[in-house]
Amino acid sequence: MNILGTFFLDIVAVAVLIWVLDLTRRGRLYVGYGVIFVVAIVGAMIVISVPPLLEFVTNWLDALSPVPGFTLLVFGFTLVMLVYILTQTTVISNRLAEVVQELAILRMKSSADSPGAESAAREMDEEDRD
Amino acid sequence: MDRILVAIPAYNERATIGSVVNSVRANLPNLDLIVVDDGSRDGMGQVLRDLRVMTATHLCNLGYGRAIQTAIKYALVEGYDALITLDGDGQHDARQIPGLIERFRREEWDVLVGSRYIQSRNYASAPLGRRIGMQLFSVLTRIVTGQRVYDTSSGLKMMRRRVFEPLTRWHFVDFHAEAIVYLMRLGYRIGEYPISVAERKYGQSMYSTLSHLAYPLKTSLMILLGVVEAGLVRRRRGK
Repeated sequence: MNILGTFFLDIVAVAVLIWVLDLTRRGRLYVGYGVIFVVAIVGAMIVISVPPLLEFVTNWLDALSPVPGFTLLVFGFTLVMLVYILTQTTVISNRLAEVVQELAILRMKSSADSPGAESAAREMDEEDRD
Repeated sequence: MDRILVAIPAYNERATIGSVVNSVRANLPNLDLIVVDDGSRDGMGQVLRDLRVMTATHLCNLGYGRAIQTAIKYALVEGYDALITLDGDGQHDARQIPGLIERFRREEWDVLVGSRYIQSRNYASAPLGRRIGMQLFSVLTRIVTGQRVYDTSSGLKMMRRRVFEPLTRWHFVDFHAEAIVYLMRLGYRIGEYPISVAERKYGQSMYSTLSHLAYPLKTSLMILLGVVEAGLVRRRRGK
């Protein structure tokens, strides 16, 4: 790959990296997914930027699955779709977690309003101490 | 400061939760106590009902960070002035908490962390894996905040009401180094109070083999993002 190609792919990788980090910061992408993307993108940038490493990986991949250059577009599309789907999963997961938390608090408060619970337990403790 | 809530996040701690609750009640009789049952499947719920302790039960397991967040949300809406969290596995000694409260009040900390390493200032007593992790996060904290925190992963913490809102507004992994860095970057005062911790006798640690690899990566990323987020929050406040 020539210098212009390396530069172009590095720019694309940095853009995707910033996108993923921003999604993770805003809580729209689960941090575990974020870590996987960051490791993969940084790894790809290293491979792209170091010619001997790129040659080795190219030879190795080509031996396993010879593919045309068009595959790069398919790969890019898949990556975007993957981030999008994981973002939606994270958003739904966050909403579910918030519902579970609110429900837990509401149930605890309603049980506290009924006779019993902590205050009664504390009174019993005080009686025991007396 | 008059209203303090003690919260114990617990998951599958049937063997120890009873003694932890009784110890808190005996040593802190004037404080309110809740347990956050993070979707336990070992019968811990029944133990808590028998103990007649206020329990916020997650219908499914959300993880330690979310359990802590539930306690903070409750403390926020119920108007508590401070929150103390301690683990449900029996590793923390409730007899040390009055000293923690006294130091917290006297030195006016926003968060005071019960620290296993603040006195020795080294990790010689910790197993190798934990030693590396503690060293990493302690150094990272110092780099991004200028203040070293020796025990970033302690479950025993006391926090003032003014940090409840920032801690529920953003998201954290386990409210460890990433939360400490985030709050420090927002200008809150965080200190350490020396404690001793017993070894776990029953149950399982929340960290599996895979999470020993994932935890440092996730926490490191959240530390980095926490610095950015805190900067953005401060900029918004300034406008």
